[in-house]
Amino acid sequence: MASHRGGQHVLSDSGPSRHHHISYAVPHTLHLPSNTSFINQEGSAFDFEIEELEEAIALQRVKINNNDEAKQTLYTARPRAATIEMFPSWPLKFHHTPRESLKSGEDSVCSESALNTLASRGDTCTATGHRLQPLLPPETQPQMEMVSSSDKPTTGVTESQLDAKPNPPKRRGAGSSSDKVLDAKTLRRLAQNREAAKKSRLRKKAYVHQLESSRIRLAQLEQDLQRARSQGFIIGGGAAGGNISSGAALFDMEYARWLDDEHRHMSELRTALQAHLSDSDLQIIVDKYIAHYDELFCLKEVAAVSDVIHLITGMWTTPAERCFLWMGGFRPSDLIKMLIAQLDTLTEHQAVGIYSLQQSSQQGEEALSQGLEQLQQSLISTIANGSVNDSMHQMAVALGKLTSLEGFVRQADNLRQQTLHQLRRILTVRQATRCFLVISEYYGRLRALSSLWASRPRENFIADDNSCQTSTVLQTLLSSRNQFSNF
Amino acid sequence: MHYHAESYGNYYASTVRQSAAVDPLERVVRLASGSAVVIFSLSTCCMCHAVKRLFCGMGVNPTVYELDLDPRGKEIERALTRLLGGGSAVPVVFIGGKLVGAMDRVMASHINGTLVPLLKEAGALWL
Repeated sequence: MASHRGGQHVLSDSGPSRHHHISYAVPHTLHLPSNTSFINQEGSAFDFEIEELEEAIALQRVKINNNDEAKQTLYTARPRAATIEMFPSWPLKFHHTPRESLKSGEDSVCSESALNTLASRGDTCTATGHRLQPLLPPETQPQMEMVSSSDKPTTGVTESQLDAKPNPPKRRGAGSSSDKVLDAKTLRRLAQNREAAKKSRLRKKAYVHQLESSRIRLAQLEQDLQRARSQGFIIGGGAAGGNISSGAALFDMEYARWLDDEHRHMSELRTALQAHLSDSDLQIIVDKYIAHYDELFCLKEVAAVSDVIHLITGMWTTPAERCFLWMGGFRPSDLIKMLIAQLDTLTEHQAVGIYSLQQSSQQGEEALSQGLEQLQQSLISTIANGSVNDSMHQMAVALGKLTSLEGFVRQADNLRQQTLHQLRRILTVRQATRCFLVISEYYGRLRALSSLWASRPRENFIADDNSCQTSTVLQTLLSSRNQFSNF
Repeated sequence: MHYHAESYGNYYASTVRQSAAVDPLERVVRLASGSAVVIFSLSTCCMCHAVKRLFCGMGVNPTVYELDLDPRGKEIERALTRLLGGGSAVPVVFIGGKLVGAMDRVMASHINGTLVPLLKEAGALWL
């Protein structure tokens, strides 16, 4: 490896600028971890090898033309009599040695170690590069150039056996056209190849760098998770770090899953309406939606027993939803109010039903709110009046009162559940489908509003980026508003 | 709202009633059929307060029995727990002598529109 590197340095010191590409790229590929794919390593090595060699060929052809020699192809066996006679042993020497090194390269390819392969590749490169470098500048050695150019097809053939790149056929094409004058088109194509290869090298470097950093970050996250688990905290989704009870974390995870189901149900409702299904089919979908909400209330009931404070503070919802939170969830009368505006085509009987539903839900909310207020007052007085002697007893009483919060959240959820069921009873199947789609979209928008809120620009002079993001999100929201107007 | 505690109020009538060993459940039934809307409650329970506010908000005048202020309240509480099949004994609501249930049943019947007709039928609510 070290000697190989030494070879590279020799190359970079003496060569013209383009050979720096070789010295640059090969160590780069050597730095890849051994589990990177074999093909990729080869590919990058071939990227510049092929490109450099193709360039060399083109330049040699130019030189050949400039020298006004008889036109020679790369593959012609017709020797240039005078020169060959002068140096009879040269063709043999140059033909054998590159082939030997290439053969060793081939053998290494068959071996399992990728690094060995790279070393051999590097050797091949070094070998050919080495030969290229002293050959090209002097114009007085056209025969040597010819000879070296003749080992390029072998190199190309060898490489094409191992690599799936389309370059070898391209090179052969170039070789066959060496009869013609080397025109600007070819030069341009070569330049484009060079640029493309350079770009792909840079892209690959960036990608690998990103992968590496992601890997490190993942390892760190896993470590943190391990540590937290060992300390007995279950990290739920959306927890703001610190202590979160296991019941709350569990609920957060279940709620996240419920939200995914919610999206699925919403799109189902939407497609059902647009598809104009029969009433019985719609019935199935509507009932599934109701069952979906019933499931949420079951989850909340379990969570209320383990951590009612988590539900009441609304840490499981998004910020915008939290603004309108009432007793650990949505306010049923607000929902009815929103729906009344959206639902048209109600019969008189239905309208009466909806308005009485609004009234009864309001009364229920009022009753529960007053009960909760009394609970709060009683709790305040218990904590405030705790005497020194009786403090433990007072604390026990206060704890009991806090536990009765659970009952209120449960009753509030019961109110929500009954409201949804009653809606289903009042409306026809088609109306109910539309109604639940409206509800689903409404909460979807509220959640979208929350994410906009979270990403809003904090300073006026900073965050042009943020405001651009916000405005693009707003634009997408506004464009999707058309769906609502279909009702 | 009428608050009834058997130990206070009509002394003579209540002493006659107290001397008879009445099965608590029987007592519950008797008390429940005494008024159009009967609520069994505890003065310290906030959910009971909520159910009281609910009926008052509808314009109903329920009869409330505070079991913690009744000497035999404990028995009634136990009987009510058995009647409801577990859970909290209070609040329990009877309308027209018939058992409606605890808070969740009361709420559910109000939302699905069956509570108001029941109240009207019992004569507790006039349009």
